[in-house]
Amino acid sequence: MSQVVSRFLSFIRQPIIAALVLIVLLLYLGQMLSPGFASGGQILRLLIVASLLGIIAAGQNVVILGGREGIDLSVGGVVSLSAIIAGNVMNGADSGILPAIAACLAAGGFFGLLNGLGVTLLRIPPLVMTLGMLGVLQGLLVVIRMGIPSGQAAPALSRFVTQPLAFGIPGIIWLWIAIGVLMALMLNRTVFGHRIYAIGSNEHAAYMAGVPVRLIRIALFMLSGMFAAIAGLCLLGYSGTSFANVGEQYMLPSIIAVVFGGTSLAGGKGGYTGTMAGAVLLVILQSILTTINIDESGRQMVFGATLLLLMMFYGRGRAMRA
Amino acid sequence: MSKLKLNGVSKAYGATLALRRGDLEVMSGEVHVLMGSNGSGKSTLCKIIAGAVRPDAGKILIDDTPVTITGPRSARAQGIGIFYQELSLAAHRTVEENISLAALPVKSGVFVDRTALKERAARYILLFENVAGEGFSADALVGNLRPDQRQLVEIMKALASEAPLLIFDEPTSALDRAQVDRFFEILRDLKSRGRGIIFISHRMDEIKAIGDRVTIIRDGETIATLNLAETDAATVIRLMVGGAGDMPASQSSAPAAVDGKDGAALTVRGLSGRGFRNVSFEVARGEILGFGGLHGQGQSALLRAIFGAGSITAGEVLIGESRFDASSPRDAIRRGCAYVSGDRGRDGVISGRPIIENVTPIHYLRHRLMIARPRKLRDKVTPALESMHTKFASLFHPISSLSGGNQQKVIIARWLIDRPDVLLLDDPTKGIDLSAKADLFTLIRQLAAQGLGIVLYSSEDAELLGNANRILVFNGGSVTRELTGADRTRYNLYQAAYEAA
Repeated sequence: MSQVVSRFLSFIRQPIIAALVLIVLLLYLGQMLSPGFASGGQILRLLIVASLLGIIAAGQNVVILGGREGIDLSVGGVVSLSAIIAGNVMNGADSGILPAIAACLAAGGFFGLLNGLGVTLLRIPPLVMTLGMLGVLQGLLVVIRMGIPSGQAAPALSRFVTQPLAFGIPGIIWLWIAIGVLMALMLNRTVFGHRIYAIGSNEHAAYMAGVPVRLIRIALFMLSGMFAAIAGLCLLGYSGTSFANVGEQYMLPSIIAVVFGGTSLAGGKGGYTGTMAGAVLLVILQSILTTINIDESGRQMVFGATLLLLMMFYGRGRAMRA
Repeated sequence: MSKLKLNGVSKAYGATLALRRGDLEVMSGEVHVLMGSNGSGKSTLCKIIAGAVRPDAGKILIDDTPVTITGPRSARAQGIGIFYQELSLAAHRTVEENISLAALPVKSGVFVDRTALKERAARYILLFENVAGEGFSADALVGNLRPDQRQLVEIMKALASEAPLLIFDEPTSALDRAQVDRFFEILRDLKSRGRGIIFISHRMDEIKAIGDRVTIIRDGETIATLNLAETDAATVIRLMVGGAGDMPASQSSAPAAVDGKDGAALTVRGLSGRGFRNVSFEVARGEILGFGGLHGQGQSALLRAIFGAGSITAGEVLIGESRFDASSPRDAIRRGCAYVSGDRGRDGVISGRPIIENVTPIHYLRHRLMIARPRKLRDKVTPALESMHTKFASLFHPISSLSGGNQQKVIIARWLIDRPDVLLLDDPTKGIDLSAKADLFTLIRQLAAQGLGIVLYSSEDAELLGNANRILVFNGGSVTRELTGADRTRYNLYQAAYEAA
């Protein structure tokens, strides 16, 4: 009997299972608090928001997996920047979508490259490097916009994000599923993926086994920038116009989603599937908090506390030791 | 008068007896030298006296009174000061603070008395006036000092304890001639004031210069205590090696010469870098070249530099006929060079990842593969692991589920899928069990027979004698002696290692 219990406990302690159980519990709780919370349409809306967060968290995820206190605090800045670039490039015209995608990916990749170069060549700790980059990006946003909202989403982009594309499910959710599959393939089935885990678990041993440690770390930061850029583009489609610092609120949740999904902040351990569950969970939590009239500052407090609680729960405090 | 006396002191760590029987008597006004090879129990003995390790049995007497040393503080209180080989300094504090670290002068019960601190430090810094070198001052940060200067700080710290009994565990390893001479003057002065001093060094000339008596430790037992004035180096070395030193049994069992008609696998000419200087040698295809000597005489640094993971300032390296100066391990691997470190945890094991992922990285690199198909590689990985009788449940279990010896086998297996031309072994059997060692050396000899050029550095003489066709003995970063043919004996190995360069 006790064996069954202990097996059940170890099953439930797997981060992804724990996240799924919590998702169901939170949906039930939401339904109790506000009937209709767990309806099909509402769940789809939650998933759209979750996919925005999840795409950002994909970049955060690979940077964290790469180890050496890897973290990207600049994702929020890149999201905002990308939304503004996209809005101005397409300016409400469908023909502008492809140039906008190219411009956003280039910008995200560029700032990711700067992060990567700072962390590898200048040996600046990722926490400091990406925080500094966030500051630069925020300043840049003010300069570009001068406080005036600008840029319109193309109608096709808005439809892609908000309207059903196939089987009643919006394009952005399909995109997120595709990213999930590609991430799983990359991490488990490519040499690049194996090398990410290798540098995350034991950077020196990886170096001695011929892994190009710096190149890979730079690539991870570039990936993170590009994922954030894609999310920024989609966010523009979601809201129609870009407005002040749309991306700012995503930095903390993107980290929490990764940790919730069972990826170790020390690097080298975890995967993206758990992160996806973590993103869904966070969005539901956020929605419940909104339902019971807790404002943005209250939500931030709850998120911060959640991250700290998670760190204790998974015993990963050592991960953040400098 | 006897300052310190140890009677039948012993210490076991689990099943390993680190110290079987330690007897030692140190008189006032004497410099007492401890000698023994790596792992013979010298350090354990010192740690017991300094209170860092509690003995399992035996008696300790200070000034003929039995005492119990419960810890480092208690040792200090009983008048014992120690210089630790692995320096125990605070890198971000100043020289003067470090000197007084063990007992900071205090005023009004809480505040550090800076005036007293400066005065005290100045006394000890003055002792090394003119030899400490540039940039050495009371307010310099220890972290900014050169290795020799740091060692001087550690010496000053030990002296500042003003303890009647001082232990110096290899205090001179980084010092230059003038610094050593000054240090010995200080020791002679302490001697004349009736202090007892225990001194550990591997340099025969230093021992002759400063020591009064020597106690030799072998395999955890104190063998003999001799008057240094009445003995010569050969006697001391013979005692360290043990009776079997000249007998055929401890002669090398590997063939003395390899037929070198296939040419050189690796050629090193006049190579210098951090930790080694002006090293030249050649390894023929099919040859196992041994690196011997005391620990840390440049063997590891040289091997890592050849593999592209260290600095090279001069000289050249050739693999086969072509110039080979690896700028990184990646480069070295592509050119057919392999390196196995004894420090698995740092250099080898990708912890937490499956066994197979610990074997495949070299294969991916050499074939420039992009897609990882672990299941397809199973046919290549399994034979490599089985050639060393590696015990594992499944290729997809984490490597951390294996024992140390099996982990090392996995690390070696990664080099077996695509044969390298040169294999560099950097003390590869450190901390692994006997049967795993035997498996490894069987494999290494097989690889040599297949025409690889192999360099084997080992801290265990038996491994060198049993496997190397030739042995280069390192001392102070250069090769001081080459042992070939019938010269490859335990005795010669010791003698070459302990003789000053």
